Amino acid sequence: MKATTLSKETRKATVKSGWGSGRTSWGSGEIKRHLAYLVMLLPGIIFLFVFSYLPLPTIVMAFKKYQLAVPPADHWLQNKFLYALFYKSPWVGFENFKFILEAPQFPVFMRNTIGYNLVFMAVGLVAAVGIAVGINELRQRKLAKLYHTILFLPYFLSWIIVTYILFAFISPAGVIPQVFKALGLEPPQLYNTAGAWPFIYVIFNLWKYAGNGSIIYLSTITGFSQELYEAAAIDGAGKWKQFIYVTLPQLVPTIILLQILAVGRILNADFDMFYNLRNGASAAYQNSLTIDVYVYEMIASNPSKLYYPAAAAFFQSLIGFVLVLTTNAIVRKVEPEMAMF
Amino acid sequence: MSSMTNVSTALPKKEKATKYKDMNQLSTGANLLWHILLIFGCLCVIVPLWIVIVASFTDNATLVMHGYKFWPKVFSASAYEFLLSSGGGSMLLAYKNTLIATLVGTVLCVISVGLYAYPLSRTDFRFRRFFTFYSFFSMVFNIGTVAFYMLCTSILQINNTLYALFLPQSFSAYWVIIMRTFYKSNIPDSVIESARIDGAGEWRTLLQIVAPLAVPGFATVALFAAVGIWNNYFNVLLLINKRELYNLQYTLAEILKSIQFLKEMASSSGGSVDTIKNLGDLPSESFRMAMAVVTMGPIVLAYPFFQKYFVKGLTIGAVKG
Repeated sequence: MKATTLSKETRKATVKSGWGSGRTSWGSGEIKRHLAYLVMLLPGIIFLFVFSYLPLPTIVMAFKKYQLAVPPADHWLQNKFLYALFYKSPWVGFENFKFILEAPQFPVFMRNTIGYNLVFMAVGLVAAVGIAVGINELRQRKLAKLYHTILFLPYFLSWIIVTYILFAFISPAGVIPQVFKALGLEPPQLYNTAGAWPFIYVIFNLWKYAGNGSIIYLSTITGFSQELYEAAAIDGAGKWKQFIYVTLPQLVPTIILLQILAVGRILNADFDMFYNLRNGASAAYQNSLTIDVYVYEMIASNPSKLYYPAAAAFFQSLIGFVLVLTTNAIVRKVEPEMAMF
Repeated sequence: MSSMTNVSTALPKKEKATKYKDMNQLSTGANLLWHILLIFGCLCVIVPLWIVIVASFTDNATLVMHGYKFWPKVFSASAYEFLLSSGGGSMLLAYKNTLIATLVGTVLCVISVGLYAYPLSRTDFRFRRFFTFYSFFSMVFNIGTVAFYMLCTSILQINNTLYALFLPQSFSAYWVIIMRTFYKSNIPDSVIESARIDGAGEWRTLLQIVAPLAVPGFATVALFAAVGIWNNYFNVLLLINKRELYNLQYTLAEILKSIQFLKEMASSSGGSVDTIKNLGDLPSESFRMAMAVVTMGPIVLAYPFFQKYFVKGLTIGAVKG
């Protein structure tokens, strides 16, 4: 938050920032200061240029049929890839996109990506709010803090570690088959059971992110005024009624805003989880195919035909971009503080 | 309520508080229920990790025969002995790669993010809107996996180099937001002004005066960056095929997959999965669990220390201050 009282010096120095103020003249030392600022910005500028701006023209790969080519020795562009892409690859318009849209896996990975994200959002929301409320209400504060600390540890573990954990549970020698055997039942071969995997993904996504997701709700709830709760208590409302009539209504704006922001990311699925958790089990494949996995597999299996995954990746980037801008604009209209920008 | 206050002054200190919390606290029953639920959640976190740890300390033959348990049926530290000796060759190399990548990447990140966010936090910087947008755009538009692949292989040519392990993760507009908010809310303008009045240039102000105050912010960014690089898998998958450059996560993943692949082969050809243990050249299961333990070890052990920075970072980042 900005300081409430700015000194005269600071107010004088605060310039209306825009894209460069053209008219006002530069004060003494201001140029020197701005040069220093620019040097500070330089590493970030270079990094972002290389990783986010420079590759933008290569997106045209989605609209061309990339052919390998070697630039002649006297050509100004000596980079083989760029030369081939811009000078020797024929334009094919939307043909690559047609290929992707008509691919048999298209409905599969679209359904998987969007479907899983929706379920993750719903389940994650209930869990995050539940944890936040529970932690906040607990009488023993120190224990509450301990629980919270433990609950968001999984966020820091990589999906590979989780794959090992899952392996310890569902591999033939794992905990779950042992439980079944002890009960005299036939142990399930979960790695080979396609239908188990949606549940596994939901459970583990919850495991990894519930604690993390609860932080925002927790900090919001602790900021609520106690007077409303007192009034409700005096009126005879028990804890549950207080939750429904005092906590939840105040929490709804935050919930809606966070969910809207999540919708902006609905075409992005956790690659590491969907690619690794099934540990190569082929039965799980159909239920693990998300758009990121699809793009990766096309790159890996057909490095000479990168124009197809390029189209799929561009599709994902573009829709994601539009969604993020739209959802952010909505959020900014309602509650500017919560918008990303 | 006033009668309660009168009574409370005569009561022992423990019951003095008459804040709403006393009146409106959870009933003992509900409190207990929440404890049970939360403890269940915590067990869901701890027990799986515990089982992996136990398995790493279990004699391998027992592990394969009797399965994963809550306590080693037959204790054995041989997996770790093997790990620390020649057997852990690829593991030690992967550890070295990951450590270097994490260290270098984190330092790079803290410096570049810390530097970039500073002018953005200064109200006297004329171009802060432009440069803020310059970084935000990268968050909003993702260039896509294919463009990333072509950039790293054909243009930057960092594929099959150690740079691939950390370079793409050495900067992020998200951390710039966190750092900028931190600068704005924790460095009072008066401090900077007095430095300026004393004649300090911008660099001096930043390095000598602001930086020491901003250490918690740097710690938060360092934490996120380090964990991101340590846990990174995709870069290696996409950009590296030389064994000696693999990082920990990739090594772990490959090793576990080979068990699965062989088991599927065995079961599809009619053999039972138990025949696998006759193949002598597979690293044992307890050895694999030991590898997982040493990979997650640093994070789990350091976790209590950095936990407070993480909470701060998330709340700042999510609710723009």
